[in-house]
Amino acid sequence: MASLNTAPDTWEAALERIRAAASACVEGDLSRLRIDEPAFTLEVRRTRRPAPVVGPAGAQLHLPETIEAPMGEPAHTNGVAHEPAPTLIKADLVGIVRLSKPLVSEGSSVSEDRELAYVESLGTHNPIRATAPGTIRAVFVTDGQPVDFGLPLFSIVYE
Amino acid sequence: MIRKILIANRGEIAMRVNRAAHELGIATVAIFSEPDRGSLHVKHADEAYCVGPGPSARSYLNIPNIISAAQVSGADAVHPGYGFLAENARFAEICADHGLTFIGPSPTVISQMGDKATAKRIMQEARVATTPGSDILESLDAAHKAARRLGYPILLKATAGGGGKGIRAVRTPAELEHAFATAQAEAEANFKNGKLYMEKLLEAPRHIEVQVLGDTAGTIVHVGERDCSVQKPSHQKLIEEAPAPALSDRVRSRLHDMAVAAARAVKYTSAGTLEFLASGDDVYFMEMNTRIQVEHPVTEMLYGVDLVAEQIRIADGQRLSLRQKDLVPRGHAIECRINAEDASANFAPAAGMLESVVLPGGSGVRVDSFAYAGFAVPPYYDSLLAKVIVHAKSRREALAKMDVALRETYLGPKTTVDICRTIIADEAFIAGGVTIDFLPALLSKVSLMRDAQATTDAQPSAV
Repeated sequence: MASLNTAPDTWEAALERIRAAASACVEGDLSRLRIDEPAFTLEVRRTRRPAPVVGPAGAQLHLPETIEAPMGEPAHTNGVAHEPAPTLIKADLVGIVRLSKPLVSEGSSVSEDRELAYVESLGTHNPIRATAPGTIRAVFVTDGQPVDFGLPLFSIVYE
Repeated sequence: MIRKILIANRGEIAMRVNRAAHELGIATVAIFSEPDRGSLHVKHADEAYCVGPGPSARSYLNIPNIISAAQVSGADAVHPGYGFLAENARFAEICADHGLTFIGPSPTVISQMGDKATAKRIMQEARVATTPGSDILESLDAAHKAARRLGYPILLKATAGGGGKGIRAVRTPAELEHAFATAQAEAEANFKNGKLYMEKLLEAPRHIEVQVLGDTAGTIVHVGERDCSVQKPSHQKLIEEAPAPALSDRVRSRLHDMAVAAARAVKYTSAGTLEFLASGDDVYFMEMNTRIQVEHPVTEMLYGVDLVAEQIRIADGQRLSLRQKDLVPRGHAIECRINAEDASANFAPAAGMLESVVLPGGSGVRVDSFAYAGFAVPPYYDSLLAKVIVHAKSRREALAKMDVALRETYLGPKTTVDICRTIIADEAFIAGGVTIDFLPALLSKVSLMRDAQATTDAQPSAV
């Protein structure tokens, strides 16, 4: 796992950092973990509802569905326990992600089946949609970025 | 000019390719499945892409995601390693269609050698000895005639066969009628094709294979033979060595000559292996593997060559840097495969968390591995954790070195370390020239001794 106190220089490194922080959060049974460095701030919060999913000893660490990890600015800590758990929308194939217009950002309300982005892979367009109406909590990718299997693209709170 | 290689594999062979590429100044792209995210092959590559979940069919065999990862990363070549897509002619074709250099032979050669009947015909035309056999047997009468000509014991085989289905060993003429009927029915049921042919059954042969290299300019060299006769009951190799012990120089050079002739016949380009069965002075072509093999390091140690680097140079259109007369074997090399397996339970896989990893070292000891303490070995793939390879001036010294190396090796409670130590301490193995029946027989002996020991231990003390 990545060291927690040097600045991530690539997006991959940043994701690795989030995973490490998330796992530290789960392993230490913490509800909040914040790292303040001159170059960056990373805060991971864990909601207690539903119970966090922790794999068996030795299982690979996945970003539990109930963890959100905003980068660059400290997140609000008020009312964490009362918010509905966000769902991560992940890439299910390898390719280049293209954000669909109108672009969504934190706070955007989206309708069911709204195309949030598509993944371009071997010349095919593979739409990424909201499966229900909801509110975008985070956009983890930038337009034109390479994505691989299982990479979180959006965090959304479904109604 | 190859600048960036996508390594379409995992584990130790992905690490091996990564090393060769980096040594040549070529960047690397790893692919991995979700449970392999923490694997060393991912950490050592310059970039890595997750191509799917654990099951191979959805990750390491997921051609669209692999090709897409190559495109997204800007890789210009693909190394398939061994297993997975290494001998998939269609994959080699798809790579070419997407402007990617496939580091291996041409799709045509892969499919020719992948089809047993075609491979055998090509070898016969190249005057390579193949197992004596018959044409398709139209009737039981024809089978009796063919068996008399070949001499018992014989094997009945389905022309459409594979995976051991539709194969019957027949030792006497009296057994032939029943075997013919059942093999035919099995072939019909499994392959919708009841056609049978016959081959002479070699009892207790040795498995000896020859490494070849060919470049696009048509130069072919052999890099000597390897003896891979120590095989598990499932026919998977466990210990390999080079040169093959207890082999006459005449048979050895015949094997080398046949391998070169065979590779020349298919205009082979890359590293490849011709597998032979040897029984006394008779040697017969079995099959050609159109990829790098697990046991390639023994050849590398013996000849001081880097076979994977040669594969990359050849795929890049460069001439072989080695001439036959410069390829001189020195000393003796042995490899033991350390698998996460329970040798006392028919080599049942024992995947799981590697709590502690201790690997051997020292002069003349090489370890190809991806193991580290804290890595959870996923249950989806083969159980190879490490290859311990030793090189010494003589076979006797190599055996001593291997024993010391294995004593230093610890990868968990259930690995093949102990059975490998038992093998290299066995009189027949030390004498050299064991056949493929050696390990199954040794296992029965070991298991009998264990049972006897258990009985003794259970007795109350007589004192």
